[in-house]
Amino acid sequence: MNTNSNIYTIIYTTVVVVIVAAVLAFVSMKLGPSQEANVKAESLRQMMAAAGIESTDNLYSSKNAEVLDLYAANISKAYTVGLDGIQNGELSIDRSNIELVSGLKAQNKIIKDNKAGKDNKDNKTATLPVYVFNSGVCVIPVYGAGLWGPVWGYIAIEPDFTTIHGAYFDHESETPGLGAKIKDEEWFREKFAGKVIAFGKEEPFCLAKNAEAEGADNAVDAITGATMTSKGLNTALNVWFNAYESHFEKLAKETEPEEGQAEDTVAEDIVTEYIVVENTVAENTVAKNIVEE
Amino acid sequence: MAQNLKDTILNPILKGNPISVLVLGICSSLAVTVQLKGALVMAISVTIVTGLSSLVCSLLRNTIPNRVRIIVQLVIVALMVILVDQILKAGESTYAIDKQLSVYIGLIITNCIVMGRIEAFALGNKPIPSLLDGLANGVGYGLILIIVAFFRELLGSGTLLGFRVLPLSYVPNNLVILPPFALILLGCIIWIHRALDKDLQEK
Repeated sequence: MNTNSNIYTIIYTTVVVVIVAAVLAFVSMKLGPSQEANVKAESLRQMMAAAGIESTDNLYSSKNAEVLDLYAANISKAYTVGLDGIQNGELSIDRSNIELVSGLKAQNKIIKDNKAGKDNKDNKTATLPVYVFNSGVCVIPVYGAGLWGPVWGYIAIEPDFTTIHGAYFDHESETPGLGAKIKDEEWFREKFAGKVIAFGKEEPFCLAKNAEAEGADNAVDAITGATMTSKGLNTALNVWFNAYESHFEKLAKETEPEEGQAEDTVAEDIVTEYIVVENTVAENTVAKNIVEE
Repeated sequence: MAQNLKDTILNPILKGNPISVLVLGICSSLAVTVQLKGALVMAISVTIVTGLSSLVCSLLRNTIPNRVRIIVQLVIVALMVILVDQILKAGESTYAIDKQLSVYIGLIITNCIVMGRIEAFALGNKPIPSLLDGLANGVGYGLILIIVAFFRELLGSGTLLGFRVLPLSYVPNNLVILPPFALILLGCIIWIHRALDKDLQEK
């Protein structure tokens, strides 16, 4: 047979491609569920690392099943909110059926379209996830474009709804040793703990060169040599914080009546202080006695 | 014939080592050798890909139209690479390594060793020797990878396969973690290899 004729070549390549496509489709179908389980466990690890439930190393050395157990034991509720800040869905937190909002990319697009004032063609409403842990810490995702691919992360927010408890970032293909530091370097993540999100401002957070030098409590220095990744992450943080702003304002208002209790604790503090003072006086007398003896 | 087979297997590992003699596949050997575990997975992946692609191409060698043979080979190599990537992603313990190796698994397809062995060997030989040749080239590549990764993880992090080997008082050398040091190590390996094997020395 003439293997160099045009017809043979066309038929041959077509058959090869069809066979390869069929094999890949079959494999992808077969392996799909376990790949999804891995992705889900990975997201849970990152969320719990941000929320400070376990150390990152421990989370990454534990098995998927253990991660699911840990999440089920520590989560108190999970729900989704729209851009208006009103809850519009529940996420299952049952151990056997843990639901997460996947497809942050789609959510990111909805947020951005909304900001630009564009009409949503598909009329999709945003379903931004909020994961509330038993410790009262809320974890929210952020998502944006880095230099080579998407960057995303999970931000844990304290029950006062403005202070950051912890953060975890990840990326698809940032440069190892430069942009990849957002994930690899623990000191970078730790910088976020204790920072405050300035809700209400146009840019609630500032990740930029020398940002810390001005002493603002909503600023973190960008990573040297990773300007584009840092910029992308800064945009991701601000876009998503803005999107969650109305929801957290609402939550903060709901918890306001508890201020009466806060005053009580202040009063208690004064009492303890008084006792402490008394104790010091007593100690001083004892000390005096010893000296006199 | 037995002598031939032995040569097929041993040559790529020693005298014709793809990295230290042919200087192929340098890119990935600089990129994935920071940790021994990653290097091991990469070595195994490349071995499987080169072996299976050579086998399949050798089986098809009489039917592949000569004018489009590179494209057909590429499709076959791509298939193997995607299969390896998908399997790594599905395994619970390999998922983290797959993330760590990130694009380099996908880039096995551009590894000159794979296409080089198919063009040079598999298209002109029977399936079994082709399979062995592919596997042996993967092993030869993996061997260098593992040597480099051994030193880089030991000196760069003080650990081996994640277990602490050097005492905590050892200050990890940051240069070792950066790719240039892998190049220095590779140079040393080539130097030692040539010093030991007189046939490789240029007159």
